[in-house]
Amino acid sequence: MRDAESGFRLNEASLVKQAFAEQLKLLSLSFPALLLVGFIVLAPIAWLSWLSFVDADGFTLANYERLLNPSYGLTLSTTFQLAFLVTAICVLLGYPLAYIAAQLSAGAARIMLLCVLFPFWTSLLVRTYAWLVLLQKRGQINTWLQDWGFTDAPLRLVYNFTGTAIGMVHIMLPFMILPLYAAMKSIDENYMRAAANLGASPTQAFWQIHVPLSLPGLGAGVMVVFVLSLGFYVTPDLLGGGRVMMWSMQIERSLSVYSDWGAASALGVVLLVITLAMLWLFSRLTGVVGAAAGGK
Amino acid sequence: MTSGPLRSDGVGSAAALPITVSNIRKNYGNYRALDDVSLDIHSGEFLTLLGPSGSGKTTLLMVLSGFVRPDSGSVRFADREVVLLPPHKRDIGMVFQNYALFPHMTVAGNLAYPLKLRRVDRAKIAERVEKALDLVQLGGLGARRVDELSGGQRQRVALARAVIFEPRILLMDEPLSALDKNLREQMQLEVRRLHDRLGMTTVYVTHDQREALTMSDRIAVLDKGRIQQIDPPQALYDNPKTHFVADFIGESFSLPVTICDGGATLFGHPLHLPHKITGSAPHFLVLRPEKLTLLPEHPTDAAAGINEIKGQVRQSVFHGDSVMIYVAVRDGHEIALRVPHRGKVTLPQPGDHVSLGYGVEDTIVVPATMPVEGGMR
Amino acid sequence: MKIRSRGVSLVVALALTALTTEAYAEQTLTIASWGGAYQDAQREAWFNVVAKELGITIKEDTTSGIADVRTQVASGKPTWDLVQQGNYSCAILDKEGLVEPLSDAIQNMEGFKPSMKGKGWISNLVYANVIAWNDKTYPDQKPQTWADFFDTKKFPGSRSMRRSPVYDLEAALLADGVPMDKLYPLDADRAFAKLKTLQDDVAVWWSSGAQSAQVMQDGEVDMSSVWNGRAETIAKAGAPVSITFNQQMLLTDCWVVPKGAPHKDLAMKAIEIMSRPEVQARIALYINYGPANSKAFDTGVIPEETAKKLPSYPDNLAKGFILDANYWADHLDELTQRFDLFIQQ
Repeated sequence: MRDAESGFRLNEASLVKQAFAEQLKLLSLSFPALLLVGFIVLAPIAWLSWLSFVDADGFTLANYERLLNPSYGLTLSTTFQLAFLVTAICVLLGYPLAYIAAQLSAGAARIMLLCVLFPFWTSLLVRTYAWLVLLQKRGQINTWLQDWGFTDAPLRLVYNFTGTAIGMVHIMLPFMILPLYAAMKSIDENYMRAAANLGASPTQAFWQIHVPLSLPGLGAGVMVVFVLSLGFYVTPDLLGGGRVMMWSMQIERSLSVYSDWGAASALGVVLLVITLAMLWLFSRLTGVVGAAAGGK
Repeated sequence: MTSGPLRSDGVGSAAALPITVSNIRKNYGNYRALDDVSLDIHSGEFLTLLGPSGSGKTTLLMVLSGFVRPDSGSVRFADREVVLLPPHKRDIGMVFQNYALFPHMTVAGNLAYPLKLRRVDRAKIAERVEKALDLVQLGGLGARRVDELSGGQRQRVALARAVIFEPRILLMDEPLSALDKNLREQMQLEVRRLHDRLGMTTVYVTHDQREALTMSDRIAVLDKGRIQQIDPPQALYDNPKTHFVADFIGESFSLPVTICDGGATLFGHPLHLPHKITGSAPHFLVLRPEKLTLLPEHPTDAAAGINEIKGQVRQSVFHGDSVMIYVAVRDGHEIALRVPHRGKVTLPQPGDHVSLGYGVEDTIVVPATMPVEGGMR
Repeated sequence: MKIRSRGVSLVVALALTALTTEAYAEQTLTIASWGGAYQDAQREAWFNVVAKELGITIKEDTTSGIADVRTQVASGKPTWDLVQQGNYSCAILDKEGLVEPLSDAIQNMEGFKPSMKGKGWISNLVYANVIAWNDKTYPDQKPQTWADFFDTKKFPGSRSMRRSPVYDLEAALLADGVPMDKLYPLDADRAFAKLKTLQDDVAVWWSSGAQSAQVMQDGEVDMSSVWNGRAETIAKAGAPVSITFNQQMLLTDCWVVPKGAPHKDLAMKAIEIMSRPEVQARIALYINYGPANSKAFDTGVIPEETAKKLPSYPDNLAKGFILDANYWADHLDELTQRFDLFIQQ
């Protein structure tokens, strides 16, 4: 009886110990990375939040009270409008482009994606200035519009909301196309065949099968473009002509004009909270955060 | 088409359509995927396209479904020419190799999809989905997500989806290849039963000759873009017309024979043949292991109707229900015979000299290559 | 000729101070300025003179503004000895007690207007915010006052102004008839009301000097409130752009010594040298900015042609006013918030 029992637990203690040691080893392997992430990502955020709540006299909400100024409300509204608009245009332009790229042969698709990616290799500033040159009053586009008789006087295409949106769409488009392309590439062509076989016209198959199956890519693209747009600085600063005030510009102003770390931190914290809230809302609405991360 | 619930009354082949394929050619660059293929598929028939990969069987199926546009030729469903018709207007069911169940829909959603496209009203759809699920023994699983199903269950859903709108033609592209052996064999019977019950014309593609033999009314064997032979399973097995067919269907061992004046000699001994051989091209004698018998050590005499071959046992392999005995014959050739396992029977041991006999009707002599003039209808 | 004689006087000065330089030998002074062409000019005009005269090595760094100084002082161990700032930043830092009080020798130097220095800062060069226009748009009648700038009936066309209340509020009040010597303290309500009348015609609120130049050069706007140096640069490059010094807003950049600077005394000495009229004058030879010390124009170092184009040239100086750095030090935050709200509406 006793023998049977001890035989039943043969080597149990050592095996448990070995399993534990293995886990410890894994943990120690990931420790430097965890430390780095903690140090580079989390620590500055914590520091930022801390700064926004203290001043020389200790705890304060003054930095947040300051945000009650209607100027910040207008900025927030502009920021969201622009981010929504840019995201929407990126979807409208990016979806067909990604679709075409996904249908092309490997070689042609590579060339097309290269063109899509090309802007990534040019500096943001250069691209933004290029739009300035094209869109301004005596720029190429206005020249053509007038030469071809579409307008008499130059249109105001830049130094406003329109110009900012155009410039930002150009910069954000690759962020929309790449995840869309990846998602579309992973759609088995048999799904579309099955749809056709079951009686779906190409249009029906596109909307009822292709679009839903590309949603994870669309969600990832929308999320990336929207979040990046919320925090965009350079392009609105140059193409907005001062009128298009983004949240990030308010942060910059707090630092360069008032040199007020507390105020800038409070603005940063608000942007962070809004961004996280948007991500949360988005994942609730579509469940794509997990999908985009490769889960189910 | 009729839009009543799935038939439950036996072979109601009134709703099935015959298919006529005439002179279909399809080239991919210099590669001939389909080389002047013609084929009649009878109404309500279960026809299998069998061949190795690259033989053109899948391409032919894709031509039928409309996903591949042939270079020339005609496909008719009954009297209607469909070769120019886009896939979504062909109104034929299809089961894909990897099922192609839409992952963003539930099981019921997948089944309802073709009905919704046909604007069947909602109450009817629910009823027919239930019925279809019952048909493939998945009753109650309609709300499941596709990725929650096992391989066999997905297979059944794919099948149900392909037949729920009662197409008069059903195409299947190696539908069982992803299943393990036991499940595959079970599904083979189920698919065949479903066909018998619903009665539509079925074209089934596989590279598995056993599967083809098990399920089909007729089998079309394809190689290099051409149909080598089309016959019912047993005829195909017993009377292969070419060496390729003989080799591809069932187990067989080939020995070269010499042709002379319509007769044939094996290693110099004339063979008893069921019929005369035309032409003088190289031929093979094809021997199937189960058709060989061990002759007594001292044969009375080579009785009429029996051919005999001598050799030395090299190896015997136990298969449970039978034993395979590999025998070396002349010129380095090897054949084998299968002996049912009945226990207590003394079998020849390696090294023993044996005589093997086979009937005249089992003496299959086929040309090494397909005769040029071979009509393939 | 003049340059050669100046060279001789430098050699003499060096010889005379040879003994005193002993004390500083092997020492290093760290100066932070705006970088770029601006700092290149300062090096040629000033830093090299200081290095030679004191026999020290000058290490250079760049600053992007007031926040850098605050951070350095807050650290308790500033690495900079001498820092360049915009004028109201100097006044703000002084007010916050983040800079060392300047030596008496500097405070007592002649040639600096009282508004060009404080307890802890002194101006080093002068530039101005002026009215610039496109001569192609206005071939005959040229705008001469801020009232003209705001008058879009008389001078139709688009405008550009700085994205800041500084300059814009002064411009608005001048346009509304407030005399130059009665501007401060600014009547913000009146200024914003006047600014509102021009808002729709301001095509670009510029945020950097480069941008202000670019919109003028490309003809995006017809009239602009810009820094004189920027306007001159594009005019030299061939753009049909002219400026007037009428009602110019004079601005200075200035030196401060961060509190606790490692070589505080040396920094004072360097400021003293760079503030001398003959050294001050050199800056105009390298960049379109004028010396802060008005006596620099008496040294003969600056050719007359060049001198006339400088905002601090006595005749020009008389046409404008000096921006009140102390006022802005007190009101910048509040008025910027109000301005930001204004331009978004």
